[in-house]
Amino acid sequence: MFLDTSDIQAIWLTIRLASIVTAILLVVGTPVAWWLARSRSRWKGPISATVALPLVLPPSVLGFYLLLAMGPNGPLGHLTSALGIGALPFTFWGLVLASVFYSLPFMVQPLQNAFESIGDRPMEVAATLGASPLDTFFTVALPMALPGYLTASILTFAHTVGEFGVVLMIGGNIPGATRVASVQIYDHVEALEYAQAHRMAAVMLIFSFIVLLALYAWRPNARNLLRRG
Amino acid sequence: MQLSMKIDKSFGAFTLSVDFTVSGDRIGIFGTSGSGKSTLVSILAGLVKPDSGEVALDGDNLFSSVKGINRRPEQRRIAMVFQQHSLFPHLNVRNNLLYGYKRCPAEYRTIDFDTLVAVLKLDGFLERGVTNLSGGEKQRVALGRAILANPRLLLMDEPLSALDDSLRFQIIPYLKSVSEQFGIPYLFISHSLVEMRLMADTVLAFEKGVLVEQTSSEQLARNRMGQSFSGYINLLKLGCPTAESGLFAYPWGTSKLLLSVGSDRKASMAELSSKDIILFKQHPEAISARNLLECTVRSLFNSGGKIGVELECAGNTLIAEIVQDAVNELCITPGSTIYAAAKASAFRMLPN
Repeated sequence: MFLDTSDIQAIWLTIRLASIVTAILLVVGTPVAWWLARSRSRWKGPISATVALPLVLPPSVLGFYLLLAMGPNGPLGHLTSALGIGALPFTFWGLVLASVFYSLPFMVQPLQNAFESIGDRPMEVAATLGASPLDTFFTVALPMALPGYLTASILTFAHTVGEFGVVLMIGGNIPGATRVASVQIYDHVEALEYAQAHRMAAVMLIFSFIVLLALYAWRPNARNLLRRG
Repeated sequence: MQLSMKIDKSFGAFTLSVDFTVSGDRIGIFGTSGSGKSTLVSILAGLVKPDSGEVALDGDNLFSSVKGINRRPEQRRIAMVFQQHSLFPHLNVRNNLLYGYKRCPAEYRTIDFDTLVAVLKLDGFLERGVTNLSGGEKQRVALGRAILANPRLLLMDEPLSALDDSLRFQIIPYLKSVSEQFGIPYLFISHSLVEMRLMADTVLAFEKGVLVEQTSSEQLARNRMGQSFSGYINLLKLGCPTAESGLFAYPWGTSKLLLSVGSDRKASMAELSSKDIILFKQHPEAISARNLLECTVRSLFNSGGKIGVELECAGNTLIAEIVQDAVNELCITPGSTIYAAAKASAFRMLPN
């Protein structure tokens, strides 16, 4: 067989992780992007910088802090313990949470761009036609920002699939729970299983290429979004 | 409709400070760019919050800094047509038109969809996407969308300025239908004196954030004649033309006018600048200008150092613009008879 069971398990886990992270970020990223696009608050700068941090930070730095926060003595660890969920590090959901932070800018920035490009006028028109701000958001802003949503979702999904450093820091290497495709390749190379590493790497390469091809086909100007990423 | 605004609003170095009450259904807001007219209507619509003051429409307080009232735009029932059509690109023509209608409480829905579509002649492209429409069609859809919201007041913020000349005059009859057919009072914002006369009865003129004049649109045009590069524009209602010596002969009141431009046998409107009329004390035996009309002087007025002469010609009114020396030389006084000449090429047709 082209890929063995553990490879397929790792790929399936990766797809599950990326899908859940993308879904969570669609919900979390929308209000953040909307606020950043519309606000004139003095907090806009600091919040933008915080959202963009994962773009420049080494994944190990982010992973390290998240590990501390999720640990038994960290604020998130206290919270999860109090809720009876237990410790998050080295679990799938710990990985999901870490990935949400790590991929946040890949969702927020394209959405923010999309909302900014709509401008104020359509919102003003909707308001003078009797639409409340929430109504305006769902009937005007959201449909007009749909191409931005597609770009943001593709970038977030692809970026989560490509994670490695944060995964190792938070998730470790537990088959079926935290061993994603990128870690699986690393394991194969460590074990000198170059043939399997080749096959997995090829799958990742083809996947990434197809995702980017789809993105460019959909939006020829997506290059700017990627450059920012 | 009665509107009273007493507001102050500052943006950096610019301050809008107005205090007025105006009544009527066809109100004009006149001013050059930077005069504050767009800020004024944005405040009225609730899109911009004034620093202080009060805004009341028909006795209903929309904003009051003292009473702590600031009604949200969607609660004001004041619709707006913008300079750019601002149609929703993700909705087709029908759904653009229905956007405000669906959100209008049932008790206010007096204008129905089919009537509006018929009046604005939109029935041919209801299912089309809005990106495929021409500039004039887009502006008609934007107008229809605002009317269908059944507002108690419609604000038209330079709705014609993004259109070219020929389209502009094609849209005006539709804009006029707002008050004539649907009975919605409106505020028409423009920097064009001609548009003001076509669209408004009472005009509020603004300069640098201050109200400088509140008068009739006709009076405003006369007051501004002397300062205007194009003078006072006489708007002439012409009958159906016939061909005459290579020109178009249009019936005008009890007389006729010869124009070098014309359209195919349709009644039209033409512009003639007050600067393009020459006055003669006596009948000139022969002149090159193809139009010579015997007129009676009705009145004289001063405008920016120029003298406007209001003439009664062939049952119509005509304004000519001359200098004081000419008034003295021609001995023009109210009631005197005078001859007005205009070249056939001096007229400009307004597209139908």
